[in-house]
Amino acid sequence: MVSQDELYREVADSYGSSLDRLARAYEADPEARRDLLQDIHLQLWRSFAHFDRRCSLRTWVYRVAHNVATGHVVRQRRIRKTLASIEEIESMPSNDQNELAAGQNKALERLSGLIQQLKPLDRQIIVSYLEGMDANSTAEITGLSPANVAMKVHRIKNVLTRWFHEGAPHAG
Amino acid sequence: MPGEFPMNDPQKIWQDQPTEAIKMSLEEIRRKAHRLQTKARLAALAWIVMGLAICVLFARSSAKAHAAVERIGWGMLSLWGLYGAYQAYKWIWTGTLAADATLSTSLDFYRRELERRHDYARHIWRRSGLTFCFGGLALVVLPALISVLGAPRLLVNAVPLFVLLAIWLAVFSPLRKRQQRRLQREIDELKMLETENRSL
Repeated sequence: MVSQDELYREVADSYGSSLDRLARAYEADPEARRDLLQDIHLQLWRSFAHFDRRCSLRTWVYRVAHNVATGHVVRQRRIRKTLASIEEIESMPSNDQNELAAGQNKALERLSGLIQQLKPLDRQIIVSYLEGMDANSTAEITGLSPANVAMKVHRIKNVLTRWFHEGAPHAG
Repeated sequence: MPGEFPMNDPQKIWQDQPTEAIKMSLEEIRRKAHRLQTKARLAALAWIVMGLAICVLFARSSAKAHAAVERIGWGMLSLWGLYGAYQAYKWIWTGTLAADATLSTSLDFYRRELERRHDYARHIWRRSGLTFCFGGLALVVLPALISVLGAPRLLVNAVPLFVLLAIWLAVFSPLRKRQQRRLQREIDELKMLETENRSL
């Protein structure tokens, strides 16, 4: 029987970087992001007291992490108005192409900016996609059907392709 | 040129980003978890103790009072204290969200929590026992006021109490309405998100 501490250590080693990236998807401010990440780790450790292996460790980790991060967004009262769905972003006009002349940092900044505009569910899906998860794993984390996830991922790919090849989307 | 854009693989950009390893030892995590739990429990405990103290204090006043009306008044105030303590106790055992809940479950949880607060704000007179409090206060104060009606000078002594009461009422009502509006807005936003999720 693996203890709560051992599970946490395993997760901190294996998913530390992924969790950091996940926090970036939910919080732009570095200081607040650090707090959010600490909270995610804290809640993960607490959650392992109830981990019953009904799902994989990875699914559990991402569910808890997304939950904590969504709670953070909800508590920050940043739910609507500022947030959009992937379909809404898909239909937004593109910016001027010149704006794309930037390096990796800029691209990452833009990518993070795009993710932070999304509503919670789309955010969970795009983060899972960017982390390289397949539709089934994402479906397990989000509670959606694999078919719905595949449809969303298709849209996400469209948006990202357009975004990287034509220009960053902008509202209005 | 867009075609020459060097980083055209979002997954690679995302996964290659520099990450910062969290420097939190298990000991620190345990300490934090303990502190969080203690803080929440202490806050609730403080309310329970305050409620019980009010209950005992007013119960003593009730026992000492000579007139029946006054005794009932102090008794009602005492019950109000007890009710407050009970509410705080109930608050401690509010349900918590399962750690691995899916998004729809967590949105549902947040919405229910907001609805609970909205309902409390809407029926605050009943839920917080304010009716008991003011009823008791009236039974304690009014007989005393009636007895000094013949001496207006003594009535002047009660003016600060009524001024404070009027100010409180003037501030309380708009604040309560504003809080209700804010909570309703948040509930609507969460409902909208839930509907969107369900439609998938």
